[in-house]
Amino acid sequence: MKRIEVKLSLPVVAPLLDLIKAAVGDLGGRLAAPQHLQDLDEELRTAWQADLLGGQNDDCRRFLALFDREFFASGTVGFDEANAESVLRACAAIRLRLRERELKNLPDEVIEGAGADVTQLGAAAAKAFMCYVFLATLQELIIQHLDSAILDG
Amino acid sequence: MTMASARTGVAPASRTETELALEGLWRVVVLNDPVNLMSYVVLVFRKVLGFDEPTARRHMLEVHEQGRSVVWIGVREKAEAYVFTLQQWHLTVRLEPDEKN
Repeated sequence: MKRIEVKLSLPVVAPLLDLIKAAVGDLGGRLAAPQHLQDLDEELRTAWQADLLGGQNDDCRRFLALFDREFFASGTVGFDEANAESVLRACAAIRLRLRERELKNLPDEVIEGAGADVTQLGAAAAKAFMCYVFLATLQELIIQHLDSAILDG
Repeated sequence: MTMASARTGVAPASRTETELALEGLWRVVVLNDPVNLMSYVVLVFRKVLGFDEPTARRHMLEVHEQGRSVVWIGVREKAEAYVFTLQQWHLTVRLEPDEKN
């Protein structure tokens, strides 16, 4: 099984985890992406959304499990075909929530280019933007190194 | 998916209407969002829809530049399955009747 281990800077990443956990907590009862399910009858829509929410919560739990005792000892997190898809989806969900909750005042073009000047943001928005970029970096690493495992899985 | 159990629970009185709605072809439409990475969207298209890399990239660029892309057309049940799976990956997706059919 192909596995990549990433050494993260503890002083940089550890302070971001509280905000990431808050976003995950906020996602506990809601879906990250907008839903367009008006064509479904109510019973099906309810079951559909419950299934999506269950999957989203499971992905977020698996993502947060990366930041365990070993991470705080060594700064290392590992990705393989067993967790890559869940981590990718969790990062997407958390980034969507951060954009909705903490970064809603940034224009789309700034968000799309990840080009915000953090020195021009308030402290809360700057931290949220660092989380947003950090999660994108994890996604890029997984896509770059584990795309075959994901596509074949 | 556990959608089948919900569908089998539809009351008989509404079944005819439901069955009529299921006829015809349906489009799976992906809408642009400013958050998901281009490389992520390409991977999701390849994974979920079975696109090759150039096709996935073409649809991703269509979403990015035109705001939406029709990524699949076909029967309702399979279209629903694609919408559900794309939503699991947090893409913004719509299910639309294909009015040409």
